[in-house]
Amino acid sequence: MSMKEGYKRVRRMTPAMRIIHWVNVFSMIVAVATGLYIAAPYYQTFMADDAVDKYVMAWNRWGHFMVAIIFDVTSIIIAYLFFFSRFEKPWRKVIPTWKNMKEFFEVFLNLVTLNRRKKFDSTHSDSFNSVYFLIFHLLLGWMLLTGLQMYVHGLASGESSIGAWWPWMLHAVTDWTQVASSWMVGSTATGANIMDVRISHHLTMWLVIVWVVFHIYYQVWRTIFWKEGDISIVIGGDKFVKTDKEA
Amino acid sequence: MSVDKEESVKKLFTAESAKVDTNKGDAYYNELYISCQKRIEDLRKLAPLNNRPDFTESIEDQGLERRDFLKWASATTAMLMLPASFTPLVADAAVLMNRVPVIWVELSDCAGNSEALLRSDGPKIDEIVLDIISLEFHETLQAASGHQAEKQMNEAMEHFKGKYLLFVEGAVPLGMNGNYGTIGATGETFVDHLHRAAEGAAAVVAVGSCATYGGIPAAAPNPTDSVGVMDVVKGKPIINIPACPANPSNMVGVILHFVLTGTIPELDSLLRPKFAFGYRIHDNCERRAHFDAGEYVEEWGDEGAKNNFCLYKVGCKGPMTFNNCSIIRYNEGVNWPIGVGRGCIGCSEPDFWDKYAYERPMANANIKAPTGGVEKTVDEFGLGLLTAAGVGIAIHAAASAVAGKKEADEKEDGGEY
Repeated sequence: MSMKEGYKRVRRMTPAMRIIHWVNVFSMIVAVATGLYIAAPYYQTFMADDAVDKYVMAWNRWGHFMVAIIFDVTSIIIAYLFFFSRFEKPWRKVIPTWKNMKEFFEVFLNLVTLNRRKKFDSTHSDSFNSVYFLIFHLLLGWMLLTGLQMYVHGLASGESSIGAWWPWMLHAVTDWTQVASSWMVGSTATGANIMDVRISHHLTMWLVIVWVVFHIYYQVWRTIFWKEGDISIVIGGDKFVKTDKEA
Repeated sequence: MSVDKEESVKKLFTAESAKVDTNKGDAYYNELYISCQKRIEDLRKLAPLNNRPDFTESIEDQGLERRDFLKWASATTAMLMLPASFTPLVADAAVLMNRVPVIWVELSDCAGNSEALLRSDGPKIDEIVLDIISLEFHETLQAASGHQAEKQMNEAMEHFKGKYLLFVEGAVPLGMNGNYGTIGATGETFVDHLHRAAEGAAAVVAVGSCATYGGIPAAAPNPTDSVGVMDVVKGKPIINIPACPANPSNMVGVILHFVLTGTIPELDSLLRPKFAFGYRIHDNCERRAHFDAGEYVEEWGDEGAKNNFCLYKVGCKGPMTFNNCSIIRYNEGVNWPIGVGRGCIGCSEPDFWDKYAYERPMANANIKAPTGGVEKTVDEFGLGLLTAAGVGIAIHAAASAVAGKKEADEKEDGGEY
């Protein structure tokens, strides 16, 4: 296969990063579909069957928790790679240095001027995208904590199939989200409750969906306007940049 | 509003776990047994207060047998999460409850908790036990009024200083310097009344959701700026027994625990006794199988309702509510809300009127709450945000397409423009 004249191939995502990306895509679709059912069961089951054969809510909850756990694990891997990846150093792109802020602003200008102005190096991951991804992972982290807070109350006995340490740890790590959610929701009552956590979890879902919509649009837009094949980063791991730009 | 920022930040990092420890080990219980035994011996030496009747006589008067009483004692022992060996001690403590002075004040509320005690279908042991406590002062129940009532309260507070349990029913309005609620011949405000009564109390028990978190008087927009007892009384042990009304069994449980051990029961972060509020209604609900099966009552009176299906879709808040009514029920096990075919309204949770009690699936909640409508607002806001993002993207895409075409045209035309 010959490459188009004047272009250079740049590696942007390792296989591990790409696998995590698609696992996240799958998890998110399942989490939203099942999560909406858990919030308000939007389809009915066949009345004629016995309860034991249907188990619809239980399957929805099972699916929701399974993808949540997968999400949690990939989040831990991503958090690790954020600081210790040998491939790239995303954290260096989000600290507000003069250089990063300038790049962030230039990428933003590129978007709002509809690619009329492009004064930054699009070879590597830019500051704008890095900050945008960081926001996503903060949202996911909040979903993780609030979700596990609601989950742990089902383990009221303090026991679980993997031992008492698990609910203990979940309480220790996530109980503060009740108070934090209560504060965010603007509760007037003294004392937080799990309903505040639920509202916050539900609202954050919408923020994540909004994030995804812009993310998909922006990556496609880049591909079309920059003419550097950005969309293939997440599939093959590479993009292409004009060699004359390099210099 | 009622919660100042500083306080909420402080709470943020000191939230206690709701975990319930049902087995604290033999060593703990042996030690507790001995100390309880000693305390009961001490109490037995005291005379009953104000000639309160002997408990064993009153149950016989009501036509109940000692066997019923012992059954009740073992159930109550289990409710308090004590080992079965404590049953004789609990029975003793119930008999000795006429040695503990109780003062009951009533603030901004509907007297529903007092009603719950008085209007049961027949005298149950919980209610009889509450009958024999030495209720030194109860605004709603006593015969005295005006200056007489005030005198009686002052005397009780003086005489039992540092020893009485103060039961508070109703929220405390703080707006307009507390003048939304006054009491007595001197027109004392509720908040002053509460401060005065709490001064000499051994512990304060807030009964019902109004006294606990402000309840319905504190519901949005809370015109009287009502709050719960724990927002007003500081530096005293406070026990919250929320629910609307509070379950008499839990009131008895708290008094019994106090009589038995001389201390207040283990509390959660909302100061609720863990023995009663450590579990989620949902996890002990008799309709839970229908929840898991996805079998819901779709509307009142449909086939699902006739088959006792899950009430989640008609607004049951069991999954978000901590209370023991799915286990002990009301009126000594006769029934409870879900048992009669209506959903839980989360009456034992803070802000329940705004966030739980709308009797609709959470996604369709329409009630005006402090944030403007809770779940429904969340969905509408989310969809609105999504639409805004979509519109923004569409505009940008369209503009980009036009711009791209122009560029292409420019090239074709040899850059004439």
